[in-house]
Amino acid sequence: MAQVRKHNANRKVVLSLSATTLVMLGLGFASKPLYDTFCRVTGYGGTTRVAEQMSEVVTEREIKVRFDANVASNLGWTFKPDEVAMTVKLGQNALAYYTATNDTKYPIVGTASYNVSPIKAAPYFSKLECFCFTEQRLEPGETVTMPVLFFVDPEMENDKRLDEIKTITLSYTFHRVENPTDGAVRAEQRQAQIDKLEAIDLDVPEKDETQINQQGRG
Amino acid sequence: MSDAYGDHKPKFFTRWLFSTNHKDIGTLYLVFSILGGLIGGYLSFMMRMELMEPGMQYFASPHKFSMFASMHGLLMIFFMVMPAVIGGFGNWFVPLMIGAPDMAFPRMNNLSFWLLPVALICLIASMFVPGGPSGNGFAGGWVMYPPLSTSGHPGPAFDFVIIGLLAAGFSSIFGAINFITTIFNMRAPGMTMHKMPLLAWGVLVTSWLLLLSLPVLAASLIMLFTDRNAGTGFFDPAMGGDPVMFQHLFWFFGHPEVYIMVLPAFGIISHIVSTFSRKPIFGYLGMAYAMVAIGVVGFVVWAHHMFTVGMDVDLKAYFMAATMIIAVPTGIKIFSWLATMWGGSIRMTIPMMWAQAFIFMFVIGGVTGVHMASAGLDTSIHDTYYIVSHFHYVLALGAVFAMFAGFTYWFGKMSGYLYNKWLAAVHFWLFFIGVNLIFFPQHFLGLQGMPRRYVDYPAEFAFWNKVSSIGAMVTLVGVIFFLLWILEAFLVKRKAGDNYWGEEANTLEWTLSSPPPFHQFSVLPKIK
Ligand code: HEM
Ligand SMILES: [Cu+2]
Repeated sequence: MAQVRKHNANRKVVLSLSATTLVMLGLGFASKPLYDTFCRVTGYGGTTRVAEQMSEVVTEREIKVRFDANVASNLGWTFKPDEVAMTVKLGQNALAYYTATNDTKYPIVGTASYNVSPIKAAPYFSKLECFCFTEQRLEPGETVTMPVLFFVDPEMENDKRLDEIKTITLSYTFHRVENPTDGAVRAEQRQAQIDKLEAIDLDVPEKDETQINQQGRG
Repeated sequence: MSDAYGDHKPKFFTRWLFSTNHKDIGTLYLVFSILGGLIGGYLSFMMRMELMEPGMQYFASPHKFSMFASMHGLLMIFFMVMPAVIGGFGNWFVPLMIGAPDMAFPRMNNLSFWLLPVALICLIASMFVPGGPSGNGFAGGWVMYPPLSTSGHPGPAFDFVIIGLLAAGFSSIFGAINFITTIFNMRAPGMTMHKMPLLAWGVLVTSWLLLLSLPVLAASLIMLFTDRNAGTGFFDPAMGGDPVMFQHLFWFFGHPEVYIMVLPAFGIISHIVSTFSRKPIFGYLGMAYAMVAIGVVGFVVWAHHMFTVGMDVDLKAYFMAATMIIAVPTGIKIFSWLATMWGGSIRMTIPMMWAQAFIFMFVIGGVTGVHMASAGLDTSIHDTYYIVSHFHYVLALGAVFAMFAGFTYWFGKMSGYLYNKWLAAVHFWLFFIGVNLIFFPQHFLGLQGMPRRYVDYPAEFAFWNKVSSIGAMVTLVGVIFFLLWILEAFLVKRKAGDNYWGEEANTLEWTLSSPPPFHQFSVLPKIK
């Protein structure tokens, strides 16, 4: 039969199509690191910022921060914020506490995931210190207090999209860690951390509006 | 046309099992699709019977109902629509229409097909092995969101589903590579891209969508698999993963997937509308590039399925706008079909009836699509029966009507026999009335707030549910007439001529005998 064979042309097309398939497959797997980076950069999904330094500016504008707590159904802990809400000024360093109890008869290691809503506020919510940065180990029946040190970035003032925001909700969910590392925080370390945080001077000298706006990055 | 060589067929088993002939493989796909459709249809019929009255009648547990719903979705998509529009009509008519002797890689074509029965067996098996805590089978919906598909289904059922879908996925990827190569390299002399029939264009764009989106589904299925079985935590927040990421990956595949199913259908409808209006298709190039545009834009709208996951307003605004933009090329297609019919001398044959009904219902589905694209409105109608109604109008009624249109258009060409018009007309009318009875009332249910995927509902939804279930019975009778007219045609054996629709049917397959010789175009046709 006079079928025109175009082996080479076909091979070229097949190779590039297979390469495309592999690239898409690779991108699918790479989505995990890509997605994490994207969330951290944009605050997508309510991903908060981790700050290295305490805030040094404070403004007049006040924001109500609400605290929310959840536990995964298989955890066996009770977990609650000590205060349901607190009102802070933008830039004010604030310390809040959560309390957790292990209601079971065996030690359990948990880890907390967190987010902020409304989502667009997430990039401005900065945590300095948080029980969610490490795994937490609770002995049977133990009740512990856990701190979170945070501030709402005063740069929020420069973002028009956030003008209407009066309340920000910080939400935690504790999950069970199936294969805990040795690094899980226990009672002694926890107390030492609280002592350290309470010793910090949270006050920020007040400055006026103009200075704040100059500080703004954008 | 049938010379000695052209009719040399291998023996039965060799012919069908080891088939490398595009027409035989197309036939296998079509038969397989009917089988998949009957199983998927059984599942949905049982759901409709259950929902006929409030309370629980036929199903022992809500799990089982959800399992039926999940399997119905997966079966209809992967084992009914895709095998028919791509594997079936694509294999049969793309080579014929572009003047090629066969597909570029006949043996890979055989592999593509035979992966599908394997996949189907995996899915069917999954229904009978332990799945969730409360029963056999996987009941997490065709979208397979974790954690319901990971920690929510500890049994092996979902692993069967994953393996089955991977097999079906790779079958489609191989098929896509085959189609693209065939269309790029094997067109007859003179058959330029801009002269290529619209079915070939539809299959070409669909193949690209498959190639770009299916690997992402495969990756997410493998991640689900390792999350379940190998202790990874891609989608587990306890391990730093994020279940919402699965939704992004799934819909990055899932949205293009809906167009994968409907683009070849667009092609089929274009040929039929043009033949029976006795006019060439209006705005041919616009039609071809509208499909390309739909394919391209279809990759950047996925999160309209996720408006309620808690996403930033700006992001919602973007996905909302992008989604609405898709309505533009879609509108171009609708108006081109209308313009083709405008002033044409229309012949209301059976395929034309299916095609008209397709246009009618696709417009209804498109309009509800634009409703839901509005993020604010979607917040209240997401996951209600309004959505169910939307996608059945575009898919179950749209794509499926296009399949029936194609089947009644080419049945004589493929089998060599003509069917009985009256039986086929009864099939059409029962099916048309039946499916509209099923799905139109679901708009009302959705707007009243009835959520999808539940086995039971409060009494206030009873009336429209009853109407909907009666529609299912009418549809079932319609399906019986479908099988009847096929049977009748094969029993009575009325011979079909080469071109039984007349000269307006002017694509290359009409230049061949019915059925075409086993090997065609040993001398390549020249296109003016
Ligand atoms: C005018 C074009 C269209 C628009 C604007 C549109 C818009 C949408 C939106 C916004 C949703 C999500 C609703 C929700 O879950 O809350 C949706 C769902 C869906 N659409 Fe469309 N759509 C269009 C055309 C199509 C077509 C052509 C098909 C298939 C052939 C299709 C199939 C589906 C399916 C299967 C779902 C539901 C998926 C699920 O949740 O299970 N749509 N559509
Ligand atoms: Cu979509």
